[in-house]
Amino acid sequence: MAAHALACRAIGVTYGSLKALDDVSVAFAPGQIHAVVGQNGAGKTTFARVVAGLVAPSSGSVEVSGNSVLPGNVAASRAQGVELVHQSFALPPSFTVAEALEFGFTGKGALYSRPQLLRRWQSHLAALDVSVAPSARIRDLPVEAQQGVEIARALVTDAKILILDEPTAVLSPTGIEALFQRVRRLKAQGVTILLILHKIREVLAVADTVTVLRGGKLVAGPLPVADVTAPLLATLIVGEAVAGASGDVAAALGAGEISHTAHRGLDSRPKVADLNALSTRPDPEGPALAEASLAIRAGEIVGVAGVEGNGQRTLVRALAGLVETTAGTQHLAGVGSEKLTLAERRRLGLRIIPFERNVEGLSLTSSLWENWVARQLVEGKLLSFIAPRRIREACDRALRAWSVRYETSTQRAGSLSGGNAQKVILAREVDDDAKLIIAAQPTRGLDIGATAFVWQSLRAAAARGSGVLVISSDLDELFDISDRIVVMLSGRIVAEFTAPFDLGAVGAAMTGAR
Amino acid sequence: MQDQVALILRTLVFIIIAILLCAVIFQIAGFSAPLMLQSVVDGAFLRQGALPQALRWGIPLFITAAGVALSFRVGFFNIGAQGQFYMGAIFAAVAAELMRGAPAPIVVPLCLLSGMLGGALWALWPGLLRVRSGTDEVITTMMGNFIAGLILVWITSGPLKDPSGSGQQASSRPLEAAYRLSTSTGISPIIIGIAVLVGVVMWLLVNRTAFGVLAGLSGRNGTMVAWQGARIDRLGLWSFAISGALAGLAGTIEFMGPNGRIASGFLPTHGFTAILIALVANLSVIGTAFVALFFGGLASAALYLPVMAGLPAAAIDIINAAIALFITAKSATLERLFKLRRAAR
Repeated sequence: MAAHALACRAIGVTYGSLKALDDVSVAFAPGQIHAVVGQNGAGKTTFARVVAGLVAPSSGSVEVSGNSVLPGNVAASRAQGVELVHQSFALPPSFTVAEALEFGFTGKGALYSRPQLLRRWQSHLAALDVSVAPSARIRDLPVEAQQGVEIARALVTDAKILILDEPTAVLSPTGIEALFQRVRRLKAQGVTILLILHKIREVLAVADTVTVLRGGKLVAGPLPVADVTAPLLATLIVGEAVAGASGDVAAALGAGEISHTAHRGLDSRPKVADLNALSTRPDPEGPALAEASLAIRAGEIVGVAGVEGNGQRTLVRALAGLVETTAGTQHLAGVGSEKLTLAERRRLGLRIIPFERNVEGLSLTSSLWENWVARQLVEGKLLSFIAPRRIREACDRALRAWSVRYETSTQRAGSLSGGNAQKVILAREVDDDAKLIIAAQPTRGLDIGATAFVWQSLRAAAARGSGVLVISSDLDELFDISDRIVVMLSGRIVAEFTAPFDLGAVGAAMTGAR
Repeated sequence: MQDQVALILRTLVFIIIAILLCAVIFQIAGFSAPLMLQSVVDGAFLRQGALPQALRWGIPLFITAAGVALSFRVGFFNIGAQGQFYMGAIFAAVAAELMRGAPAPIVVPLCLLSGMLGGALWALWPGLLRVRSGTDEVITTMMGNFIAGLILVWITSGPLKDPSGSGQQASSRPLEAAYRLSTSTGISPIIIGIAVLVGVVMWLLVNRTAFGVLAGLSGRNGTMVAWQGARIDRLGLWSFAISGALAGLAGTIEFMGPNGRIASGFLPTHGFTAILIALVANLSVIGTAFVALFFGGLASAALYLPVMAGLPAAAIDIINAAIALFITAKSATLERLFKLRRAAR
């Protein structure tokens, strides 16, 4: 039997009472692309961090090329040639590319000259086919280039094992294809690659073997990819009980064919939102909106696709009235709304499930009932009297109706899991008076069950007559749920598609390659 | 409920530790710690007439602290209670001077309102600076304290100067007896009534109005409240205006009640003690009332200490400072101890 590039023996990691990894023993052959898959919370990222030495396991050991590695020690792992590219990029945004590369490199000499620095890393980038100027600042780079630099950083030293944690989550379809080609080239150079992935389609496209984690336990693997099918993988990932229960599960896992929603003849319904050539000031979190035109009709679900940072946040802020508009008009539920405050827009029926669940959506240190009632209080008069007990009772009824798992309405919102926290937001934002529901990344970080719940809730809201705008970087999600998809690029709405959607065409629009 | 009991117990433990620590320090410095502890307890609570004295000092502290607690709740940090307290007293004194000779039922309410207006205005400009140009309100309210202190010096040694005064401390002419809210005891039905009214109104505002809930939410996570459509700036400005008005009211009560005049640099630590009270009470209105009474007791003990224990009155300031240190630092060891106890339960 050939020596393993990486062998993990009985790895266990516990956080308090939670077993993030439980007795995971797995070995990977050298020079191949190994996928590690599982739901959110299955322990994939923890696994990657243990291998990279970022997390000390409470039990078990890691061996690289037959040498055992000091557990929980990044330097020891790197000395053995293990490098990790993080899910959320870890390069200092204010550094130039060359500085960031030098930072991870313990080279010789204490004195630097800028030209020398640039020259040294120019050739490194060129060798890896990363087309980025070494003098560019990290924060100015688009995500795909940032990822290229991250990979280049990981390969500064002589890496034998490269771990990429969910590298596809931030990329457009074209970007994903480019990443896969880069990974295949590295494999040809003899690097062993561990890809933490989320989507079955991507596993089948790029990996040689696949390993499945569920609830911190090893379910299967490494299995040769040639021996598995999409339905088999889906069952392994979610477990027998859930698999096959719903088409949403397959869509959430990106398992093969994407289901299409037929366009349901909505053209005669009234417009709940109508943006006409709307431009805004630049937003701190992204480019300004540039002459964006978009109409959403009652009962319609419109998806917004695009690589992150192309104005999606500004679009939501513009609809919310939280960014100053410079030109164009907007109507909400038939009323001219450019000048309206967010409170006034909410009275007209605007509902927002914001991007950042734990910051914009909930006050984690406040009680559930305060979080739940906030919208009604804002819509009412500031000095109106309230009856906390009656609010708590109403809150209990609402949270039960939304099947939130909680103990008491006075517990802090921060004590809930991600899925339950999102349900609290749904309970607040999805009601019968909702005319336009904006759902920004509504399923990010949720497990399959909670994801399916969110989608069903949004569909039900649309069926009751609300217009729904879904912003997501997950195309499978958008394809599954949307009646219509618009694509944003640099603050503009550059394309519009109706179901059935074509992955290639949407992907091309996202990168402007049309 | 259990959490609240735990919170109160923890606060008590911190206060006791702070006082014991001071006792140790005073012992080392050559004073008698047992005698000091005894005279603090006696002076504050046990001796004859201790309760009225605690109320005399505690009521103005409570009124100011209730306002400070509100502003902290919203996340607009009003450190300028001292200045607003002075401006309240100044506005009331000027109003009283202008209306000299008018009947008391007109003068007294107008003076009270004028004092509240003065405090509110002195809180409003730092609030507006924060809302309009993002200036740090902690700095501006703090600077406001110094400016108000200097205005007080000017007013008492200039426009309102008592020509018959000969002491080193400049002060205004004494208020006519008809306009006084109390004698120098500082306790009267009117003052107690005002304190109760402030307590009830503030409790209702914080616990029974939309404003109160949104204020609490925005103090803990302003971004979330902004995404709900609430105007955080407006919540913050109102909380500043209210807390300034209450500090001004406390200043007015000191002027029209026990003091009967304003003197330059009077009660120089009032506002800071009020901030401490609000923090010790964990920003709760009812808690503020009890804690203010406690600190009122300590303040009255300050007059009693030199006689009984031979300690300087400033010893009480040291105890206050020690309590402040413990409450704000929230010793990690003790926190862990409490967590363990809770886990064991």
